Formats: sequence, structure tokens, C-alpha cells
Amino acid sequence: MTAAVETPVVARATLRPVADARLRFSGVLRSEWIKLTTLRSTVWIWAILFALQIGMGALMVLSQDRFGDPSQGAAQTAVFAASIGLIFNQLVIAVLGVLVISGEYGTGQIRSSLTAVPKRLPVLWAKALVFGVSTFVVGLLAIIAAYAVTWPMLDSKGITSDLGDPDVWAHLVGGAGYLALVGLVAFFIGALLRHTAAGIAAAVGLLLVVPSVLSFIVADWSTVLGQWLPGSVGQGLFFGSDIFEPWQAVLVMLGWVTVFAVPAAVLLKRRDA
Amino acid sequence: MIEATSLTKRYGARTAVNDVSFTVRPGQVTGFLGPNGAGKSTTMRMIVGLDRPTQGRVLVNGKPYAEHRSPLHEVGALLEAKAVHTGRSARNHLRGIAATHGIPTRRVDEVIDLTGLHTVARKRVGGFSLGMGQRLGLAAALLGDPATLILDEPVNGLDPEGVLWVRGFVRQLAAEGRTVLLSSHLMSEMAVTADHIIVLGKGRIVADSTVADIVGSTQTFVRVRSPRIDDVARRLTQPDVTVTGVAADTIEVRGLGAEVIGDAALSIGVALHELTTISGSLEDAYMQLTRDEVEYRTAVTPDAAPLAEEVAR
Repeated sequence: MTAAVETPVVARATLRPVADARLRFSGVLRSEWIKLTTLRSTVWIWAILFALQIGMGALMVLSQDRFGDPSQGAAQTAVFAASIGLIFNQLVIAVLGVLVISGEYGTGQIRSSLTAVPKRLPVLWAKALVFGVSTFVVGLLAIIAAYAVTWPMLDSKGITSDLGDPDVWAHLVGGAGYLALVGLVAFFIGALLRHTAAGIAAAVGLLLVVPSVLSFIVADWSTVLGQWLPGSVGQGLFFGSDIFEPWQAVLVMLGWVTVFAVPAAVLLKRRDA
Repeated sequence: MIEATSLTKRYGARTAVNDVSFTVRPGQVTGFLGPNGAGKSTTMRMIVGLDRPTQGRVLVNGKPYAEHRSPLHEVGALLEAKAVHTGRSARNHLRGIAATHGIPTRRVDEVIDLTGLHTVARKRVGGFSLGMGQRLGLAAALLGDPATLILDEPVNGLDPEGVLWVRGFVRQLAAEGRTVLLSSHLMSEMAVTADHIIVLGKGRIVADSTVADIVGSTQTFVRVRSPRIDDVARRLTQPDVTVTGVAADTIEVRGLGAEVIGDAALSIGVALHELTTISGSLEDAYMQLTRDEVEYRTAVTPDAAPLAEEVAR
């Protein structure tokens, strides 16, 4: 393979000046967007996310002939069908969130990234922003797609939700928001641990293992703690909950993001890369 | 221009770099030389802020590297081959770096051509050989048209053609007035590339001088062979001259030039069968300088590298 690389003639003009090259945050954002979209893992995970969101919604509608309490209303059933995939997709996005940063540590890429942006923190914030926003958009599209696929299926069973119902749309957007926020929690866990396997284990543990452990403990504190975990808080955003209003749920999720973002930022600044 | 002042880096109990001060000047190639584990890479990493010094500081063109508005325009660094995500193509990797500084894609294609990567630019880096990884690292270092280049073992893994190219290229960059700091553990590489050498051993600076000075600092002696060697030796004996007998008819003389010895032999009418000036090579100088500083010594020390022999006139 090396033989295929031709060595250019030494005599050529070495370097032409690069006009107005300057480090800017907008540039770091662009860089992170390029880095996110030029990896196969990202494209794969987005595809899986779509497939699961649509597939699980359709499966749910197909597998149930009767939808419990008729008083629940068509809107709630429609939201449930469009959002059920999030139960699994929160894990999918958590994996991507960890990979986005731990992949840089695993391959040594981080040293290239931090040499280009030696103040370091812009890399972390730009990555978080690009990943968070893209997850929100991709998640929203997947949820809308699931809604579009399940709507006629429910309609044929006599459950017809109003396509213009703002409450339905609020829940769909809330679901996408939850996906973005839970992705960010995983991202900052990855930034903290700097290791793919450890990061994924910790993020999945927080979403899956901790809630089930808490559910085995019969005590008031474990019940309350369980209600504050990202997984249950998120349900307030897409299924609706009695415990948190949507805006409260968003705040609690932002709290979770901050809990991991602050030490990740401090350590990024202090540790050797 | 790179100025390091009392730079120190400790990892736990181990001191990788110990109170090192030096200046790397523009317009010449400065070689960073030392055995493995001498602290070359750590020092380079501290220059671009990847490692935080335990003590001391290092400035690039008058400021810490991170304080510059356009870091990639100040320093281009190749610190290890393949500091690259293996899943990305070479071109996309470079695009990602270029974007941070608003460097146009045109420039990305320029450095790809310059480093001879055009045939593999769209392939994923995971399949690259070490040599191609080095070329990609070099391409990344050149993106910002940097005033200073820091290259850690740049010829490592390159084919002979690539080695020649890097040597020529590096010299050309220095001739353009850029600052070039390059490391190697190979003395021979330094001898043909560098103007100035900083020798590191166990985290300390062992020598900081021009290539000529470093070679000159090693002992030079003259080997003299003659059927009447005792007479010659007697004639040469004087303060500041050491005469060592190495064989029945051969001596080694330190402190006198071959001309003086030849004339002296003539003056007492003795025929010389051999009169050879033996000067230490850069390799010897290096071995001598770092003899006590080698971090990982091989159990069985091979014979010292053969001395370069140079017949005096």
C-alpha cells in the first residue's frame, strides 16, 4: 500500500499563506459537525434509531387489539405509540453520546483536536452542542415518522387523534428533547471516563440498572430517588407524569447534565491529554 | 521561536523532564536527540499544551501556545503518527482540523498533494501503514502554514524515499525562516538534517550546541605505526600530550595533530607506516554523552559503534 503513495518533488513551493485563518467557536462547531457526520457509527446509530422508533410503535399497535381505558383518549394512545420506541432508543443514543467523545480518546484523535483548540473547553461545548442539537432533530424526525406510520394503523382501529392537537405535538417534541438531554448525560459521562466500555457501562447502568436496583428496595427514599432518575423524569416529557410538570422535568434533566458536565469540564482542563 | 524555562514534568514519582531550559531559533533545524524515555516527546507535548508542566513554562513566539489567536498558524505539530480517529478518511480528518480555524478545503487538498496522500485521501485511516500515518500527521501539521514546526520522530516508518523527502522538506522550511524542532533517537538522522542539536538524557539537557561542536567535543586522536615506535613516542612526549601504546609497533597520540607528528618523525629520521587521524563521529559523541543517561539499557552492551576513520592527508 505504501508503494502507491508517490513522493512529490521536493522543489515545489512549500506552503502558501492561508488568508485570515483564525480559531473561532463557529469554526469549532463546524469542525465537530464534520467529525460527527464523517463517522459510520453515527450514520448507523441514526438509522437504528429511526428503525426502532417506527418499528416499536407499529409493533405496539399491532400487538394490542384493545386499548385499555377508552376514556384515556385517542391523543394519549397516539403519543404512546409514537414514543414507545424511546424506551429503547434512550440506550441507543446513550451509546452514541459516549462514543462521540470516548472514540476520540480511544484512537488518539483527542490530541489532534486539542492541539487545534488548545483552550480545550470550546471542544467540549461545541461537541455537546452539535451532538445535542443533532440528536434533538434526528429524534424529532424519528418520532414524527413513528407518529405518521402509527396514525393510520390506529385510525383503522377507530382511534383517531387530531393531527393538529398541540398537546400531542408538545409530547412529541418533549420526547425528542428527552432524547437529546439523556444523550448529553451520556456524553458527559463519556468525557469524564474517557473510555468507551466504561462510559457505556456507566451510562446504561444509570438508565437501566440503577432504577431496577432501586425498585427492589422497599423504602420511601428509594421510591423518591427512583422518581428523580433520568429515565423516569423523561417519561414526564413524553408520556406525561403526575410527578413533574414538563418544565420541571426539563429542569431536572438539565440538572443531570450539569452534574456530569461540570466535573468533565474541570478535568478536561486539568488532565494531560 | 520556542523558549523553555525550567520546564519540569513529573508523573507520580517518575520525573520525565527535569528542569530543562532551551531556546529553539527560527531559520534553522534544531534536533531533539536522546534515547527512548529521555523526555523528548513529553517536552514537545508541553510546548503545545497537551501536557501541563509540573514546573516552569514554555513560550512559543512570546506567548504560551494556548494564548495565540490562531494556534495552528503558530505551530504545526506532528506528535505521534495516527492521532486520528481510525474510522474517518484522511481528507475528512484534515477537513475537521481545518474547520476550527476557518481554513478552506482548498488548502486541505493542497497539503494532501504536498504530502503525497492523494491516492489514499478518501480511504479510512484505520488501514493506513505507519508511513502513511506519518504523512497524514505531517499534512495536519502543515495545514495552518505554521511559523514553527514540531515533529516527533517524523521519519519513523517512512520508506527511504519518504525519509529523503522529509529531510529536504524540513531543511526547506527552515530556509524559509521557520522554526523547526524535530526529534529522533537516531544520531545519523540528526547529522544530516539538523543544524543545532539539543541532547536529552533522563529528562535533562546533556548538550545544546551545533552539530560541529558536538562532534568536536569528542576526543580525536592520531594512530601512529612505525618499526621504531619507541623513538617516536619519546620524541613526542611533552606536557598536554598523551601517548598510549596499543600494540608493539602502534601508539595513539592525543593532543597533537598528524602534521606535527609526521614532521617530528621526519626530524629524527624515522619511517612511519601509518599516520591516521581518528575523529569521533556524531554517533560516538552521542554515545559518550548519553552513556550514563540511558533509561532502558540492554543487558548485553554491544560493541561501541565502529569509529569513523579519516585518513589525514
